[in-house]
Amino acid sequence: MYFFLQITLSGIATGAIYGLIAVGYSLTFMTTKVLNFALGMWVMLGGMLTYSLHVEYGLNPLFVLPIVTLVLFALGVVAERFSVFPFLRAGSDVWVMSTLAVGFLMIDLAEIIWGRNPTPVPPFIGKDAIYIGQVSILPQQLLIILVACVMFLALDVFYRRTLLGKAFRAVAHSGDVSGLMGINTRRIQALSYAMASALAGIAGFLVVPLTLAEPQMGTVLGLKAFAIAIIAGLAAPRGILICGLMYGAFEALVSGYLYTGIRDILGFSLMILALFLKPEGVFGRRQEERV
Amino acid sequence: MAEGGGEVNTFNSTEVNMSDKTFVSQIAAAAAAVIFAAMGSAQAQEPIKIGFAGALSGPASFVGIEIKRGSEIAIDEINAKGGIKGRKLVLVARDDEHNPVKTVAQYRELVEREKVVGIVGATNSASMLAVAPIVNDTLKVPVICPATDATEITENDAKKNGRDNYLFRVGMYGTGQANFMVDTMTKKFGHKKIGLLTWTGGWGVTGRGELQRRLKENGLSPVTDETFDNNDTDMTPQVIKLQNAGAQSILNYALVRENTFVVKTKEKLKDGTPYVSAWGIAGPAFWKAAGDAAEGVLTSTTVTIDGPQSPERMAFINEYQRRYNEGMSAAVFAVGAYDAIYLFKTSMERNGLEPKQIRDGLEKIPEFNGLVKHFKRPVFTRDRHNAVTEEDMIMTRWTNGKLLEVKFDSKGPYVEIDAKTKKYIDKATMKLL
Amino acid sequence: MRGPRAWLAALAVAALAAVPLVTSGTYYAYLGVIVFIYSIVAIGLNILAGYAGQFSLGHAALMAMGAYTTALLTKALATIPVFAETGLHIWLGVACGTVVAALSGVVLAVPALRVRGPYLAMVTIAFGWVIWKILQEWVSVTGGDLGISSVPKPQIGSLRLDTREFYYIVFALFVASLALQQRLIASQFGLRLRAVKHSEIALASVGIDVYRLKVIVFVISAAFAGFGGALFAHQQNYINPDNFQFFSSVFFLLAVLFGGAGTMLGPVVGAAVLTLLPEMLHDFDKYRLIVYACLVLLTLYYLPNGVMGLVTSSRKSRAPGHEQPELLNDGAVTSLPVNSGVSLRVERVSRSFGGLAALSDVSFHIEPGSIHALIGPNGAGKTTLINIISGTYRANSGRIIVDGVDAGIGSMHEAARQGIVRTFQTLKLFGDMTVIEHVLIGLARHSRGGVWHTAIKSLRARGEAARRLAEARNLLRVLGIAHLENMPANALAYGHRRLVEIARALAVRPRILLLDEPAAGLVGEEIRALAVVIRKLREIGMTILLVEHHMELVLNVSDRITVLDHGAVIADGLPSDIRRDQRVIAAYLGPSHAAA
Repeated sequence: MYFFLQITLSGIATGAIYGLIAVGYSLTFMTTKVLNFALGMWVMLGGMLTYSLHVEYGLNPLFVLPIVTLVLFALGVVAERFSVFPFLRAGSDVWVMSTLAVGFLMIDLAEIIWGRNPTPVPPFIGKDAIYIGQVSILPQQLLIILVACVMFLALDVFYRRTLLGKAFRAVAHSGDVSGLMGINTRRIQALSYAMASALAGIAGFLVVPLTLAEPQMGTVLGLKAFAIAIIAGLAAPRGILICGLMYGAFEALVSGYLYTGIRDILGFSLMILALFLKPEGVFGRRQEERV
Repeated sequence: MAEGGGEVNTFNSTEVNMSDKTFVSQIAAAAAAVIFAAMGSAQAQEPIKIGFAGALSGPASFVGIEIKRGSEIAIDEINAKGGIKGRKLVLVARDDEHNPVKTVAQYRELVEREKVVGIVGATNSASMLAVAPIVNDTLKVPVICPATDATEITENDAKKNGRDNYLFRVGMYGTGQANFMVDTMTKKFGHKKIGLLTWTGGWGVTGRGELQRRLKENGLSPVTDETFDNNDTDMTPQVIKLQNAGAQSILNYALVRENTFVVKTKEKLKDGTPYVSAWGIAGPAFWKAAGDAAEGVLTSTTVTIDGPQSPERMAFINEYQRRYNEGMSAAVFAVGAYDAIYLFKTSMERNGLEPKQIRDGLEKIPEFNGLVKHFKRPVFTRDRHNAVTEEDMIMTRWTNGKLLEVKFDSKGPYVEIDAKTKKYIDKATMKLL
Repeated sequence: MRGPRAWLAALAVAALAAVPLVTSGTYYAYLGVIVFIYSIVAIGLNILAGYAGQFSLGHAALMAMGAYTTALLTKALATIPVFAETGLHIWLGVACGTVVAALSGVVLAVPALRVRGPYLAMVTIAFGWVIWKILQEWVSVTGGDLGISSVPKPQIGSLRLDTREFYYIVFALFVASLALQQRLIASQFGLRLRAVKHSEIALASVGIDVYRLKVIVFVISAAFAGFGGALFAHQQNYINPDNFQFFSSVFFLLAVLFGGAGTMLGPVVGAAVLTLLPEMLHDFDKYRLIVYACLVLLTLYYLPNGVMGLVTSSRKSRAPGHEQPELLNDGAVTSLPVNSGVSLRVERVSRSFGGLAALSDVSFHIEPGSIHALIGPNGAGKTTLINIISGTYRANSGRIIVDGVDAGIGSMHEAARQGIVRTFQTLKLFGDMTVIEHVLIGLARHSRGGVWHTAIKSLRARGEAARRLAEARNLLRVLGIAHLENMPANALAYGHRRLVEIARALAVRPRILLLDEPAAGLVGEEIRALAVVIRKLREIGMTILLVEHHMELVLNVSDRITVLDHGAVIADGLPSDIRRDQRVIAAYLGPSHAAA
């Protein structure tokens, strides 16, 4: 029992990271059907900035967080303007490549600025594991689970209760019509991209004490998060958190009871199967094409 | 095309043909000039070129950079002392991005266009396996590998068929390292319950196979055989399974970042099982990443630049620090590359400057005082292209930020904190006594 | 191919053939072989992503299937003297590698092509990841991360080819692949394939099973990848999973986009530039990736259609201004084949969306060879009904009876195959494909335009093509848009686009034609012309269901009218009756209005 609980809990902690990043994909997809394919690199940027501010300049994490969020938000605005909007306007699909290219650019710049060696970032709140009975968890992991849950609740409130959030959903539903309704579609598209970037930055900030600061830290995280966003359904932000936590637990359980080598083979095959059975995502709602 | 040309010949005067010929001959002359220029660059009094193609960008670039720097230091030293037979040495380096396809292209380019006479091996075992057949069959230029450890690089088709083998190695080789790790733990530390924890990618997969093989040869089997992925940040399931299996020590194949997560997870779970890794973490990068959690971790390697050093090695360490204004992040590769250059030099001076002569010469160096080791026997023979054998490998222990060699005397294993202080190691926990 | 382009092509072939002759050593020959092999894979991906618009980020894995299959097979066979002497095992291996990759393509395509856009991208990424992991983990077969060394070298007879000799073989295969791409795209099959990119639903409306089509295209693309992979294995004599990672897949997609997706030479240009460029950037080691990424961004920014897109777009003709359709030619209409229009009965059809009833218990009957109008205010359920009849949606209950038989229609293409063909209220044309191509796609179903058939261009196929072209031109003449034959549809005036849609539907030779608001967006003269067309179609015997808001048109042409309101039939009768029906006037125009 201890074994099961311990690995499930560790898995859920990893899953919260996936969920936190995955929601970024959903944000932009909802409004523009665009995905930042290099979101993982934005996570990395958040992590590296945290490293610089927290470790090199000794800034308190409480100050680091708003700086990282703002910087990533601003960069998101710029990146959207130059690497997404021109293609979106032209009705072209090449944003797939342009977002990736921006990501590669970021990795390379990060290597030049920060070097390639993985560097540790001390946890923000305590280094010693917390014990719940016999089961242990790091305070940082607990923090991530909590933040992920809070973030998703906040997003839920945002989408359902705030005017801006409703405007997001309106744009998601039909950009043209909401344009007629007086919503500045263009601004919302840019805003959603910048928000996704800022969220990735926050994820990077939270994750970096667990992962080590290095230019490659976000690549695979971003990919797994993408998988989770897809499994849950890009238009189902609530489902994404649940899927994230479950996928994290699934990974740990496969490692624990089967064998790590087949974990991704099993995970991704299951994902393909899930999409085959439910093409709009497990939590997605089926949308018939309007004719 | 041909038809059109025929028409021109039939209907037009010879003048056109003449000008055609002139045009063709001009091109031919230009082409010849280019070719001669290229050939000329390899002639006497030109510098002797040594090539290197490896990862100089991307995650594996730390290996490539160390190799490049180690080679540069050696080459500059040699040139400062007058070069080889009056000719200077130069290094021509290429970034293969850790991609075997590029390595193959660049090896061809280095040999055919740059006319290098020797190559310092790449950063990626796959790259070396990809170039091996071309090196032996087509390019025929000797390669000395400081980094890549796949056994088959030197034990290749040419060797099996009794042809000239152009691939040499001054670094670790897979079979030897696994033997050394298993034998040290079972024979010198007396552990019988060995658990494996290896990386699912890269050399972890082959390392795992080698460890399993050696355990079997020693009449043992792993008490549990765990793996992890290189993007795992939490190894809880694996560590608990190793605990539950009652492993006395854990043998590992992986690189710095994965091992960091292993030791951090062990710290979180308060797990004290001795942890022994292959040479992937034999550099300061590991301590930098893992911090105190790395204390007591054992690593097999060829060289450590911590603890007491030979004067030659000390000089190299200082020179490196002076030139690059930082310490080595993976000393084994820099030191290996340095030795590779000196091995080329020795062979050239003894046997000649042609690639074939250099190759033959490498097999006939009777003694060599290198940084890796003072070889008091032939460095290479026709049948043995691995300079470092199992007997030359060392076990090291991460001790307060230093990678100290584990030595043995009648009272057991110990490390030398400094020239005077000897600390013995508890065989069951790897703690200092 | 005649004229300057043929000369250019010949010159390019000659120049490429001369590479090993004018360069010493093997470096350039090797780069050439790699560029050709990558080009072959990129051509396959171009057919899929460039022409058919289905992005795949898993092609490196398909390449791996080809490479590993041939590596394992030829290594096993190399010891048998028969093979060792003849070199047959190499080519057998390449063939098997291609087939295995194509089969893997089926395995991937069947789930992948049920989804679109980012979901498709993710499924292909996942597939690539799974294959890559298997290559790493299944050490006993694949050699794990260290891969398979000593893959036999290419050989013809007993002659072992070195890089410079193999260059010519691969070069020939590369040219053959280009030619195959050209042939494929120019064929009837190629027309459909290109149409997928623009509108799947419109393609289904002319009776084409889009899912099946996409799977076939995917398999073709996979075969190219596997073929390239197999050649790669023999060139390298060594393969390992590194060559087939996610980033290799990205590379190929990048090559296609960079060179120009959906252009003949785009993938080749892309593969060549992206392979050779880094070789020339030796001096930028540290900044190489930045240079690379910036280059990609700038290309995407300034050349959205890739390098070759620049070349082709400059050749495109400009659209003429808004023109009235030419007046109809009676002779042309009667030249259409006589159509045996059938009856259609809608029986108690109901459909609801999320609890909201769009149609409840709708029944009516359409006589064969008549024009039946379906009218009603906005939101009455007219389009929903057309969607159900044409197989776009399924009804919750009720039946559609065609010619007295329950049609049991499950999908749009099935409906079209039974002769129920529709047009769309919001135009669904195939982007920049030309007018005549739209009609040819409609005709496609009547010909054997399969892959195999077109790959071998038989004389018969040639004759068929000529016959089809004549039929398509006739249709355009009937609709008065013959002069626009070679215009890209997206460059046409709105009214002309409507007519293109109708022409495309007519090409299927419908027994029942469903016109969904054909007059929307048309102006006076155009509407009158449309009325003439509709009447003429009845003359040749077609059954027509007309959904329309334009009352004048409806009253002018219809034989009978059914009125829907709030998902229910409120009136059904002759135009003269409907005009006077008070319930209709009240529901349709509001109580205070008089009939139009």
